[in-house]
Amino acid sequence: MSETQTSGQPSFVVMQIGRRHFALPSDTVVELAPPVRLHKFPHDSPLLAGVIVRRGRIVPVYDAASVLVGSAALTQRFYLIARRRVGKSAEFGAIPVNGECELASGEMSAPQPERPPFVVGTLAFNDESIDVLDFSALAASRPPAAGDSGPTGLPS
Amino acid sequence: MNLAHDSNAKPRRARHPERVILFYISNQMFAIAAEAIQEIRSTDSLAGAAIEIENPELLKVRHLIERGRHTYYVVNGCVHFGLRVTRPALVMVLRQFRAVVLVDRIDRMAEIPGVYPLPAAFGGDERRWYRGLAYLDDTVIPVIDPAGFLRADEFQRLDYATKSVAAHRELEGAVQA
Repeated sequence: MSETQTSGQPSFVVMQIGRRHFALPSDTVVELAPPVRLHKFPHDSPLLAGVIVRRGRIVPVYDAASVLVGSAALTQRFYLIARRRVGKSAEFGAIPVNGECELASGEMSAPQPERPPFVVGTLAFNDESIDVLDFSALAASRPPAAGDSGPTGLPS
Repeated sequence: MNLAHDSNAKPRRARHPERVILFYISNQMFAIAAEAIQEIRSTDSLAGAAIEIENPELLKVRHLIERGRHTYYVVNGCVHFGLRVTRPALVMVLRQFRAVVLVDRIDRMAEIPGVYPLPAAFGGDERRWYRGLAYLDDTVIPVIDPAGFLRADEFQRLDYATKSVAAHRELEGAVQA
């Protein structure tokens, strides 16, 4: 993970999913995990792709690409592990990413209008305005149903 | 974020190893406590004993078996878990429930070091299906809760439907006699 940080400003972990960049507040991120086996078993919870085992913990994996970029991203091999709220508790969850994550600092601006609830703001990053995500809200969202035209309100 | 309660907890029962039966339904491995199984038989051995339910209340239960004074319902594991339907070769007779489960094959008996709680992210029917997860031979295996195959209200619906059919048949027989 490379670093682009200015002291005193909030920091974010910028990840690439598909061809787009997204950011998570760095205080929610636990680690970038290497490629490990994704274990799958029957369930009916939307957005969950399976689980990975990391440092003796079983961590659920969210198919965030289906919500953020509209399709499962086959090139995502690493896992960005972050904390999310589940009711009154919290647990780790993982998002498949391509491994190119950066630590960036900056002031977060208000989200653009009509963004889905899991987009809590925007961040200027390399001449690009990227969405800052609330991982708990993202994990609670549903992937688009078959026949939907695209991801959940996120224009590419 | 304050992790007041971390639901990715390490196995709570790590010091209580458990004997399980590992089996497959539609290429998916599951584990079930060995003590939850009364017997395992081939489907062929039950071919003459299974009674088809004419109007199944539940898609996953299409047959029943009379054993002694009890009615056992035959649960198709593929349909129960939403897996690709296969041709099951074995039935597992549950010990504490009036249900037998169609499965493809038994892998082996094994001892698992403990059961991990199912992460809270899993909020669907799987919370009823599984007691938790086992990690054995670098594989995460769902550990089945036998009570999850048929809920109490599903037993009631099946009992009501089968008794109604039986009563109707008895009445028809009496009228014809």
